[in-house]
Amino acid sequence: MRQPKIIVVGGGLAGLMATIRVAEAGVPVELFSIVPVKRSHSVCAQGGINAAKNQKGEGDTTDKHFDDTIYGGDFLANQPLVKRMCEAAPGIIDLLDRMGVMFNRTPEGLLDYRRFGGTLYHRTAFAGATTGQQLLYALDEQVRRHEAEDKVKKFESSTFLSAVIDEGRVCRGICAMDLRSMEVKTYAADAVIFATGGIGAIFGRSTNSVVCTGSAQSALFQQGVDYANGEFIQVHPTAIPGEDKLRLMSESARGEGGRVWVPRNPAEKRPPRSIPEAERFYFLEEWYPKYGNLVPRDIATRAIHRIVYQEKLGVDGQAAVYLDVTHIPRETLDRKLEGILEIYEKFLGVDPRVEPMKVFPAMHYTMGGIWVNGEDQATNVPGIYAAGECEYQYHGANRLGANSLVSCIFGGGIAGPAAAQYAKNLEKGAESIPSVVFDAEKKRQEEKNQKLISQDGSENPITIWREFGYIMTEHVTVTRINKNLEMAEAKIRTLQERYKKINLSDRTKWSNQTLNFARELENMLILARVITLGALARNESRGAHYKPDFPDRDDANWLKTTRAKWVNNEIQLAYEPVDISLIRPRARRYDAAK
Amino acid sequence: MSFTASQPDTSYLLRKLHSFTGILPVGAFLAEHFWSNSSALVSPQRYNDVSQELQTIPFRLAVEWGAIFLPMLFHGGYGIWIWLRGKSNVSDYPWAGNWLYTLQRYTGLIAFAYIGWHLYTERWLTHGRSTYANVAEDMQNPWYLAFFVVGILASSFHLGAGIWNFLCKWGLAATVKAQQAAGRFGAVVGVTFSLVGILIVLSFRFDWHPFSAYLPNK
Amino acid sequence: MAETKQVIVKVKRQASPKDPARWEEFSLQWRPSMNVIICLRDIAENPVTRDGKKTTPISYDSNCLEEICGSCAMLINGKARMACSALVDQLEQPIRIEPLSKFPLVRDLTVDRQFMFESLKRVKAWIPIDGTYNLGEGPRISPEIQEKGYPLSNCISCGSCLEVCPQVNEHNQFVGAAIISQVRLFNMHPTGAMNKSERLKALMGPGGIQECANAQNCVHACPKNIPLTESIAEVNRDVWKQALLGWLTG
Repeated sequence: MRQPKIIVVGGGLAGLMATIRVAEAGVPVELFSIVPVKRSHSVCAQGGINAAKNQKGEGDTTDKHFDDTIYGGDFLANQPLVKRMCEAAPGIIDLLDRMGVMFNRTPEGLLDYRRFGGTLYHRTAFAGATTGQQLLYALDEQVRRHEAEDKVKKFESSTFLSAVIDEGRVCRGICAMDLRSMEVKTYAADAVIFATGGIGAIFGRSTNSVVCTGSAQSALFQQGVDYANGEFIQVHPTAIPGEDKLRLMSESARGEGGRVWVPRNPAEKRPPRSIPEAERFYFLEEWYPKYGNLVPRDIATRAIHRIVYQEKLGVDGQAAVYLDVTHIPRETLDRKLEGILEIYEKFLGVDPRVEPMKVFPAMHYTMGGIWVNGEDQATNVPGIYAAGECEYQYHGANRLGANSLVSCIFGGGIAGPAAAQYAKNLEKGAESIPSVVFDAEKKRQEEKNQKLISQDGSENPITIWREFGYIMTEHVTVTRINKNLEMAEAKIRTLQERYKKINLSDRTKWSNQTLNFARELENMLILARVITLGALARNESRGAHYKPDFPDRDDANWLKTTRAKWVNNEIQLAYEPVDISLIRPRARRYDAAK
Repeated sequence: MSFTASQPDTSYLLRKLHSFTGILPVGAFLAEHFWSNSSALVSPQRYNDVSQELQTIPFRLAVEWGAIFLPMLFHGGYGIWIWLRGKSNVSDYPWAGNWLYTLQRYTGLIAFAYIGWHLYTERWLTHGRSTYANVAEDMQNPWYLAFFVVGILASSFHLGAGIWNFLCKWGLAATVKAQQAAGRFGAVVGVTFSLVGILIVLSFRFDWHPFSAYLPNK
Repeated sequence: MAETKQVIVKVKRQASPKDPARWEEFSLQWRPSMNVIICLRDIAENPVTRDGKKTTPISYDSNCLEEICGSCAMLINGKARMACSALVDQLEQPIRIEPLSKFPLVRDLTVDRQFMFESLKRVKAWIPIDGTYNLGEGPRISPEIQEKGYPLSNCISCGSCLEVCPQVNEHNQFVGAAIISQVRLFNMHPTGAMNKSERLKALMGPGGIQECANAQNCVHACPKNIPLTESIAEVNRDVWKQALLGWLTG
């Protein structure tokens, strides 16, 4: 019998879960990652993972989790698979628990749960304030175990360049570049699972890690893999501003009782702790009495923008508001939030247990991503699967806090067996494909490298990237205005023109990070246009997508999924209906009961 | 890396043995030796009595070789091999533990050399019949005296730090608090041995016997 | 530009493992809350040395920039630390930046820390679950055990503890504090404990726990404040107890 083979690209939560599942299905799997998988961006997830286990006796159910997720996502998610995810969530927590994740515990030795944004229930299991790290390590350890048993082979300093797609439009493997030898090679596989994560670098600075460029998604898009709902970009309300990165200050700070406020007097000069209660403006609590500080992220972000830009109440006249945990007992802070408070202290040199933190919104997550069917994480190209943040399926127009970890593990858990099954069912596997198919792809990628290395130009890729990030952050995040979006799109096109004239300051062929970055940048520019064009077309406000000129949700015209396609080297937007078969859309409000 | 590499090898056993011999019998012998020689602080006669007692124990050679010389040779020799496998970096990381690590190696070497010389002069040349007079005469030589002092300080330090290492490395002191306590205990041992050792040297050098009052009046 | 503050950075460069090492000096424009990563990015954008010579951008590892991925450990002013949390204002200038010295060099500041991941394999640093299908909840764990285990599970495999350890060098394949601490973590877990004896046995092999010489540099260098010396002591106790018992009972 033919021995099928699977490739997984990306070693975050979704990629690792897919890898484990493929290995369990008895199919050999090769795992590609830019960084050693233990260093993947999933480590940055802080607050927790949602599952309606109802362990606080509040009457929580998976149906309520499902409803919160759909409602929080402003009804843009296809409902059946979201329902399955919420039903699977308690089992996922059990699995992670069995894998040894050091979740916080109750005195009875059970898992403890905290509250998170967009829900009224204690539904979020957590391991201190580094839940993502703990989950990733648990999966990393299981993959290492499979690796020790020779079921998994890792390529941990390798970047994906393109898929190998044959004449029948079926994926037969990948083309990847070793980031040390810079050697371009093709790897045959019967199915490839992409779990390549976020796209933060498109916005210059974000809460994402350096490797989250969206380059792989864009490369696939340019090979005919559709991209859905790209315009839905989550901006996290509370991040610590920084020049290299906007470091996340987890929602768990508010879940544990942290309060957001500004001085009522814009000319306030006193230190925050000596400002009396009456002179503090707890605007989230005042505007959204039911959810208070735990309104969903899009709501909180816009509220902070309103405070800073319209009400001109930013702390010290700057783009910042206070996130205050100083009233919470020190012992609680150290036990439940130590990890994130340390980050603040380390990078700003101020102790947040004593002094309220200064925070501001930052690009955080893409709800949109690679289009997958609503069944088994398969894309529109046979043999290509996608899971985790890089696909679009679970969060609609806005993701609820602590739902990303569960969607990664759930999606990866589906993609693995689905890809294995597909590979087993193939009549003709990748081994029967003539080598010319692989050689042609390899040649195409090598030529790209050669051109970049040898060309003389005047543009620096990092300079282009900085300008690019400013444009995207200014016009394509919190508030979207059509004429600005048009301008942003035009500017990206000029950046694409300038990109053609880039000059690499490093032309060596060993561990050349400049070359790799230049390749990523080209892909980022294209994906940025997908996002911008999607936002421009969608004349409504829904979830994270907010247009002051179209302030309401428009279900009659826009209750549909954006599906971007690459046709004749251009972006084309198509639309398809959303599966709303389980919950009828209703108005989304957080200032009163839903 | 293959899993066969996970098989225990002799280096574990030898390292544990090295650590253990440092306390027993080497450390214990050092304590006994300082104790016996303290009799010089009482009187030369008392010292000679104690010496003779020790010089006439049954199975003397077997005891000397089995419980003292061989363990010491092993502890010192293997210690040098351990030293060669490490690479001190105290100039880059001048933390207290790292200083102890480095000093433990140098004091070990000094103590080893000193003990070798000490054995040669006081055990070999005297055919194991050393008396108060022999030692006192040696001490008149300032080089001898200096080497004695250095040797005693190095040995005492090595034992004190060794006790701390031993308690940590065998997991007898595991928590930060317990290791701090172990450190204090090691320091007390090191300082006590140093002081007693110096007193003994002074006793020989200056014919000084502060505890002579203990003797019954004749 | 005369009044703007400058930051002087010296970087140890090496084009590949085969090439000779050399130093390059850069003068960068100071900005508030600048860290070493920002310095390296500034150099990448304008790779010109202080004396005006054109050079290549510096190769270095980085990812999360918030000290949780473990990528950007390097020697900064001679000390092993994470570049992302090394704030320029807290460093003496010129800032000397070198690659970690205890791992094979790739290029410039990039090193290969695969040794650590191989060591994790060697000590079976995982919980032996039957499979990912639904088998119900895990074992109950007291908050007390969780509070001990959680700090240990924060290890980011940055390699700082190996870098500062005098016992890790070219003659000695000591696995290092991080791995020993992971053994303690997995042995502490009720299911993990089922592999306890194998893990302890692995630590008696070449480069095992016996190579620790108690310099205790690891615990000072750890960016995650993991109680490494406590882990080493506890695992040491378990190892010799098991060895002694095995020897006594054959």
